[in-house]
Amino acid sequence: MIKYLQKIFKTSWTNLKRQGFLTLATSIVIFIAVVLGTSLFIFQGGVSFLVEAIKDKIDVSVYFNERVSREEILKIREEVAKLEEVKKVSYISPEEAYENFVKTHEDDPYLESLEAIEINPFLPSLVIQTREPSQYKVVSEFFKKEDYAPLVYEIDDYKRGVIIDRLSGLASGIRNLGLALTLFLSFIAIAVTFNTLRLSIYSQKEEIEVMRLVGAKNSFIRGPFLIQGALCGFFAAIISFVLFFLFFFSFKTSLEGLFMGFDAFAFYKQNIFIVLLIQLLIGVGLGLISSFFAVRKYLKD
Amino acid sequence: MIEFKNVNKQYPANSLREEKTALKEVSFFVKEGEFVTLCGRSGAGKTTVLKLISAEEKPSSGTVFLENQNTAEIKKGEAYLLRQKLGFIFQDYKLLPYKTIFENVAYALEASSNDGEKTEEEVLQVLDLVGLGDKLNCLPRELSGGEKQRVSIARALIHRPRVILADEPTGNLDPYHSRDIIKILLKINEAGSTVVLSTHSKEIVNALKKRVITLEDGRIIRDEEKGRFFL
Repeated sequence: MIKYLQKIFKTSWTNLKRQGFLTLATSIVIFIAVVLGTSLFIFQGGVSFLVEAIKDKIDVSVYFNERVSREEILKIREEVAKLEEVKKVSYISPEEAYENFVKTHEDDPYLESLEAIEINPFLPSLVIQTREPSQYKVVSEFFKKEDYAPLVYEIDDYKRGVIIDRLSGLASGIRNLGLALTLFLSFIAIAVTFNTLRLSIYSQKEEIEVMRLVGAKNSFIRGPFLIQGALCGFFAAIISFVLFFLFFFSFKTSLEGLFMGFDAFAFYKQNIFIVLLIQLLIGVGLGLISSFFAVRKYLKD
Repeated sequence: MIEFKNVNKQYPANSLREEKTALKEVSFFVKEGEFVTLCGRSGAGKTTVLKLISAEEKPSSGTVFLENQNTAEIKKGEAYLLRQKLGFIFQDYKLLPYKTIFENVAYALEASSNDGEKTEEEVLQVLDLVGLGDKLNCLPRELSGGEKQRVSIARALIHRPRVILADEPTGNLDPYHSRDIIKILLKINEAGSTVVLSTHSKEIVNALKKRVITLEDGRIIRDEEKGRFFL
């Protein structure tokens, strides 16, 4: 058995070297498929980052009447935090709200007007983030209960509701688009790889015929082609792995600026084993599957 | 050894050709150790007979037996066992151009056997037998047509087949080299192998004085011991 496998490996290695150009062409096509697969994985990472960033920006602010004390609001905060849907609740005092306003409107001329009236017009509030953007309505309903309604001056979900819904829609739209793109491009990659390998194997059909007629087992004939396909895929995966690493490392800052703060290099490093696995699976898998189907045509018996 | 019983063979139509009937009600029996010549014009069905023996094709109806085995009943993936009993010689040699003579012959043994230890010794023996012991490291392109055909014979003999199927082995050769090849085939037959030779060469058929099966339009029109060319 070992000798049998040795013969298959020897034959495939010899064929691989002999068909230098076809090996190169096949490896390049698989390389493109691997690059595509890896890019889509990183794209999905970017989409998740973007979705999380959008989610983090979605919150509901509940403003309390002036007469409601800080202690009362903190008690309410504890109650709100117990809600399953709530991820984070922050108390913003009128003073903090004033400071935040000053910070964000440093250059605005109407800041002078605010200073001129010499009172703090801001109300105490709770800023609430839900686990999912669509859950903000639960928070609104909570504050409409009899116990809390008299204390509340305003809930800004009515103003933000439409925006929140749109952002949620956008986030899931990006995710779905990414998935559809992944499936579509994967299909193209499989088709192109299969056809390239089919051409490569077609050029060796006489050799296959000779092997069949001298009494070679189908596994002996198929073996070298499968290994050739797998090796082309392996080379493609390793080259793609190294090139992606170098690319993300070299253009780290530019890419971060380009993709709204998404650090592709850090993502690549964090998921390095998954990335390598994906690349090997795509490369070796495509090589094996395409070779299997391409050579099957000639092994009808 | 080889038996055809009422064999019909139709090739189905495809985009390039219409349906073609290659053999009609063909029946014959070849004894072990016999030398049989299949004779007929191009398209008479000679190659189809050889393909049916080697289970490359299956009959549309009727049965083909090789050593009492019905070739149509061979399970998928097991045809190689039958082919290991056969040796093929082709008109166009079908040598692998990038392998040396030694490698071409050894390759057949490697492909059909798991035991690689005796390969070298056996290849040398068989190449000596066909008179090419001094050209082991030559590539096929460095050989003449006759020499290439002798390599093809050596490859066919390497796993000691019980039957040799030779499809127009002299078709590309001049009379001198043709006689040479036929002499080797006779030698192989004398050593005990059954030989089925397909040819349309009148000179060869008449010189051999062996059994001749003549095919015309897929039918056997003559089957004679020590037959002569009849067309």
